[in-house]
Amino acid sequence: MTSHLTDRVTGVFLLLFAIWYGYRTTLFKVSFMVDPVGPKAFPLILAILMGVLSLYLIIKPDPSPVWPGSATWIRIGLITLTFIAYAYLMVPIGFVLATTFEVTALALIFRGPLLKSLVGAFILSAALYGLFDMLLGLSLPTGLIFRGWWG
Amino acid sequence: MEILNFLFQGFAVALTPFNIMMALAGTFIGTAVGMLPGIGPVNGIVVLIPLTYALGLPPESSLIMFAGIYYGSQYGNSISAILLNVPGTSSAVMTALEGNAMTKKGRAGPALAMSAIASFFGGTVSVVALMLFAPALAKWAIRFGPAEYFALMIFAFSTLSSLSGKNLVKGLIATLIGLMLATVGLDPVSAVDRYTFGQLKLLDGLDFVVVVIGFFAINEILRYAENIHQDQEVFTKLGRVMITTKEFAMSFWTMVRGAAIGFFVGVLPGAGGTISSFVAYTTEQRLVDRHGTFGTGDIRGVAAPEAANNASANGAMIPLLTLGVPGSETTAVMLGALLGMNITPGPLFIANNPTVFWGLIASMYVGNILLLILNLPLVGIFVRILKVPGWFLMPAVVAVSFVAVYSVNNSPFDILLMAGFGLMGYLLYKMEFPLASVILGLVLGPLVENNLRRAMSLSDGDWTYLFSSPISIGLWIAAIASLFLPLVIKRFSAASTVADEMEEVELVEVD
Amino acid sequence: MKTKTFLLMVIALLIAALAAACAPAEEPPAPAQEAPAQEEAAPAEEAAPAEEAAPAEEAAPAEEAAPAEEAAATGDFTPGAVECIAPANPGGGWDWTCRSAGQVLSDIGLVDGAVKVTNMAGGGGGVAFANVVTQQNDNDNLLVAASPATTLRLAQGQFGEFTEDDVRWIGSVGADFAVISVAKDSPYQTLEDLMTALKEDPGSVNFGGGSAIGGQDHMKVMVLAQAAGIDPLTLKYTPFDGGGEAMTAMLGGFIDVFPGDVSEVLGQLEAGEVRVLATLTDEPMGGKLEGVPTAKEQGYDAEWIVFRGFYGPGGMSDDAYNYWVDALGQMADSPEWQEQLQQGGLEKIVRLGPDFDAFVRTQITNFRQLSQDLGLIE
Repeated sequence: MTSHLTDRVTGVFLLLFAIWYGYRTTLFKVSFMVDPVGPKAFPLILAILMGVLSLYLIIKPDPSPVWPGSATWIRIGLITLTFIAYAYLMVPIGFVLATTFEVTALALIFRGPLLKSLVGAFILSAALYGLFDMLLGLSLPTGLIFRGWWG
Repeated sequence: MEILNFLFQGFAVALTPFNIMMALAGTFIGTAVGMLPGIGPVNGIVVLIPLTYALGLPPESSLIMFAGIYYGSQYGNSISAILLNVPGTSSAVMTALEGNAMTKKGRAGPALAMSAIASFFGGTVSVVALMLFAPALAKWAIRFGPAEYFALMIFAFSTLSSLSGKNLVKGLIATLIGLMLATVGLDPVSAVDRYTFGQLKLLDGLDFVVVVIGFFAINEILRYAENIHQDQEVFTKLGRVMITTKEFAMSFWTMVRGAAIGFFVGVLPGAGGTISSFVAYTTEQRLVDRHGTFGTGDIRGVAAPEAANNASANGAMIPLLTLGVPGSETTAVMLGALLGMNITPGPLFIANNPTVFWGLIASMYVGNILLLILNLPLVGIFVRILKVPGWFLMPAVVAVSFVAVYSVNNSPFDILLMAGFGLMGYLLYKMEFPLASVILGLVLGPLVENNLRRAMSLSDGDWTYLFSSPISIGLWIAAIASLFLPLVIKRFSAASTVADEMEEVELVEVD
Repeated sequence: MKTKTFLLMVIALLIAALAAACAPAEEPPAPAQEAPAQEEAAPAEEAAPAEEAAPAEEAAPAEEAAPAEEAAATGDFTPGAVECIAPANPGGGWDWTCRSAGQVLSDIGLVDGAVKVTNMAGGGGGVAFANVVTQQNDNDNLLVAASPATTLRLAQGQFGEFTEDDVRWIGSVGADFAVISVAKDSPYQTLEDLMTALKEDPGSVNFGGGSAIGGQDHMKVMVLAQAAGIDPLTLKYTPFDGGGEAMTAMLGGFIDVFPGDVSEVLGQLEAGEVRVLATLTDEPMGGKLEGVPTAKEQGYDAEWIVFRGFYGPGGMSDDAYNYWVDALGQMADSPEWQEQLQQGGLEKIVRLGPDFDAFVRTQITNFRQLSQDLGLIE
């Protein structure tokens, strides 16, 4: 017998989400001057539809997908961690350094050779910085730690 | 034959060596910035505007270059969508869906070539239409009020079922997730803040780029992490580069229909690229997809949205030039640039500036040809990107994604959001929820809600207002037809099952 | 194949280097005394430690002559790498303010090198405001574009805990004006016609504008209604996505009146597709609006001026503040700026320093009062 657990769990989760989402509309601060429909109606309709559909998913689930093994989950966890670290690091240490670390880390997770990864990552980061910051005029963080040198 | 006369004058402008250079530069820059996800034509044009002033370029030359950037980027966008599954704009989502499926089958070359050809086709057909009907179409765009827009959105959603894959309910849930994500932020009608939890950063809502990069690019990375031990290269075979005449022949009418849909929808300010590429795709899926090959790498699934895409970019020039109303961010920047040259777009634009208008039209013919001859030979080179070993290509995609996401608001917070959407996209993908439907819900959500509310506000809450004009009635009929058409076709072609009918009923309830 | 990849990267790097050579626009995003040791390195300059002593090109003395003189005149501040935040995406008024002012400031030598424009959209300017207050509070080289959209949101408390006291208001350098426009086939020939119709049945006129309920375009008509003794809350107003869409809706006959800005209606006005019933200005306007009476002239005391100006961080030093006030003044008087104003369809209305600060505070107080009267805020 095939498992239907995934869809059932998802259905329950979506149902709870729909209830919460609908409940939040009662907390909107609405002044007495609004349009005839108002800001609550549309989200409420969505919440009700989502509730109905999630019940359907619980009652008639598809067979569960083949979920990857623990090794993959560990990798996915590591990758996500590097993203989070990157978000916190990029302003303090600057785009070039942060991106070099990020790309190297990912390359290592993907079993790339260390030295090549590092060199490639640095060149890529510097090139991206040059292209976007200098040519296209988007401001990428230079890095607070370089503030003294860059002037 | 007045038009031909003007057109000749136009070509006299467009075919000066200098203006050919400008068109070439524009299409080239456009392709380059379009390839970078999330950067898009706006940045390219914004950077160049001061330069055009400083160099004292004549308005027609600047406009020729800007237009080149605009449609060049439409093509550039499809390159990263097809090769890396990273659509940089919402109009490239359908291209990514089908084109990347082709790439995974080792048919990246034909996908790119078809994209270039369809872009050329859509661009050229729509320039002819632009030339012949610009003033008349401006009047058609004006006839679209809130009620008509709302009906158009309903029509777009009614075509959704064909996207849903095996399970229609999951398709609907995916759309609802998109619509719910779209309600985050300051409600543009009443300025009430919704689902922001006091986060100032969420007040403007979730940016499309952040969500789409998470759902597509990051999801792709996580999927790659599943089977690292197996092979080091992402895609081993590259296969042939050009399309065959057979492929062209079978895509021909697809491109014609795509261009027509793209052009007419593109004329409507605000609706533009996303709806046109999406509707073009789903229309083709209904009309020509006999064997269920759409979504698994059918070349017609690339031809349709690409032709529509470029046609709608040209269509968007109509409200810009004849009404002074920019239909997209890019045309908004072009409007600013025109004002800076002391040209006020509006009903008098064509009469007052024949050189600029006809020069622009003629340059679009030239530019589209340039785009084709520039890009077809490059397909073979672009495809080689896939030969970069996966352990470096995938992290490089992440790095470019970071730039795109960060530069939306200059905020590292968006990178966290992107990571979150990446995980969510991966889970949804595993459970076979169609991600394109989420994106569509996200993009169209505000348009559905706001136009409904505007219509109700204008009519003091009278629901019949939604069905009160010929255009809106026509769109409602089209929406109902598109819900039942597949049912009818199934009846005729093969035995339809009870389950199918039930699915259709579900859909009616939702819409 | 790998060699090819590396080759591509090297080329990219070369391009980047080339770009760097052409435009030496360094970008320290954050607070700092960037301007290091100039030739006359003023000792008073708070803290320019020795190790900060400048990468070579920064200290190239020749081009610095102009700003240095400036500094001598107004205090001990020399601008470093200047950044201007436009709190919206490219294409709007704030973006225009930053880009044109940045260009002129750099063209006439008041800023050395280019002014870097950062688009920081979000929360109607709230994200940029919060960023400046919390992250860049002592950045002397930061200007942020502002307009009544900023003051209105501050007045309505939409920037969370932040208030007008958290930043320093530097000056306004131009202005757009509000107009009351109708389509050419509208029954309303004068403002009087419109107000009469409103007095009879306020619900009979569909107003539509480019901002939300309680936003600028809505406020304009409410101010006007108040001046005519009509209850502003009885007006029917439908918000659209920007002035352009509101204009299209009016041309299509979906709304009756569009209270936009001059720059938004100019194209259709020239073509005779719309008619302007009144300008919400102090004095009648010239140019293409020659002969259009003001609301005041027609007996309704309503005015709405869309200033274009700047604020700086609250922790900006007095020297820097004075420098920028002076620099904006000089810029506003320059022929280059006249050209920019003309291109943008704006008028020159300049308020600087304490004058501007007082103006902003009065405006915010008025907006607050108005919003309270209208029940938009408590």
